[in-house]
Amino acid sequence: MKIIECRQLTKAYRGFNALDQLSCTIEENKLVGLVGRNGAGKTTLMKILSGMLKGTSGEVKVFSHRPFNSLLVSANSIFIDDQMNFPTALSLAEILEESSRFYEHWNEELAWHLFDYFGFHKKEHHKNLSKGKESTFNMIVGLAARCPLTIFDEPTTGMDAAVRKDFYRILLKDYLAYPRTILLSTHHLEEVEDQLEEVLLLDRGKKVLHMSIEELRELAIGLKGKREILAPFLADRNPIYTEVFGMGDEYIVTRNNFSQKEKQEMKREGIQFSGVSASDLCIYLTTSESQKRRTLDDILN
Amino acid sequence: MQVAVIYYITTLMHQFREEGEQVILNTDGTKPIYLQIADWIENEILNGDLAEDKKVYSQYKLADMYNINPATAAKGLTKLAEEGILYDRRGIGKFVSSEAIKIIKDKRKNHTLKSMVEDLVQEAERLDMSETELILLIKETKSRNKGGEE
Repeated sequence: MKIIECRQLTKAYRGFNALDQLSCTIEENKLVGLVGRNGAGKTTLMKILSGMLKGTSGEVKVFSHRPFNSLLVSANSIFIDDQMNFPTALSLAEILEESSRFYEHWNEELAWHLFDYFGFHKKEHHKNLSKGKESTFNMIVGLAARCPLTIFDEPTTGMDAAVRKDFYRILLKDYLAYPRTILLSTHHLEEVEDQLEEVLLLDRGKKVLHMSIEELRELAIGLKGKREILAPFLADRNPIYTEVFGMGDEYIVTRNNFSQKEKQEMKREGIQFSGVSASDLCIYLTTSESQKRRTLDDILN
Repeated sequence: MQVAVIYYITTLMHQFREEGEQVILNTDGTKPIYLQIADWIENEILNGDLAEDKKVYSQYKLADMYNINPATAAKGLTKLAEEGILYDRRGIGKFVSSEAIKIIKDKRKNHTLKSMVEDLVQEAERLDMSETELILLIKETKSRNKGGEE
């Protein structure tokens, strides 16, 4: 079943499109990573899906309903980011108590166990929490709500490395125990990719790719060798990424669709192969033309 | 129901405190994770821990053990089923087939070992090593390993 459907979805702000004719579907009970550079449109998409923003044109359906002003979507989804507006008069404990009345599938035990595990105090107030603690608390609310559609916008902001690791583990465990559709945006794909099923990569409001993490990991291949030896194998290819190093050596990232014969030939020529991680590939695929033409070294020298 | 939830929470707390029996994957390698899962199950079969007609871990159990998405674990299981190493009993799970050990050994001899030998021969050529030298090296290594076992 499709939980999310976008067709030609566009969100126009003055002078630019935050989302530009975006079409995508997300199936039920998938754990999907939303990635892209700053300003790619991740937050805009998430806010539209949770009904907090309205698209300018195109179509968007969540649980087969238009999410904006939809009570059904609102009751069945939760959007967690670093600007949660919890009532300032309530203590942390009171926020959890009230949340349990808001969300049909709220899991009391999970909420309180995590609350204790991460060392929160019942009488603390949300506004006094440090950045990392705030994210941790928001994460607890997002998980305990167990909404059929759970959306996390950069949930690990400010968390230390140990807490981030805990978070990804808890996320997976609770997803296994209680499968639901989870959309999570991140700038650190490498930290969470093992737990994801799919990746949706955006760039300047457009979809670059949407595929399973396993496909993404095998999509590209890195080749290392002398430029003149590499060249014939790359004749009618458009490399995704090129790096020159040492004396005429090149590192080329390209589509991993060489025939077995080509690979054997390359190997004989002494060309080295390497896998290209999903997170590196996402960076290479979203490097703008201006960044490709001028490297940082050119600007800084 | 309540008991189940508490049990789940307790195991959850236990696991992320102690990292329980979580298996650490080789994440910087080029080998896809689903292949690492398949390899691991193959090894369990080869060393006798998973005998013929025994039920293999479910995709959810594997996901939990390896801290990976269940779809990735499922891909590893499906691969083994396609190769005839596991067989499917609808709604119950996957089981070790009677041919499993033979299939794994054949596969590893014909593919894994063969490509390792290709690498070996290529490197020997690069070093201008003669065939006799290479064979001698293999013989020496073999006899050294035998010595170690005794």
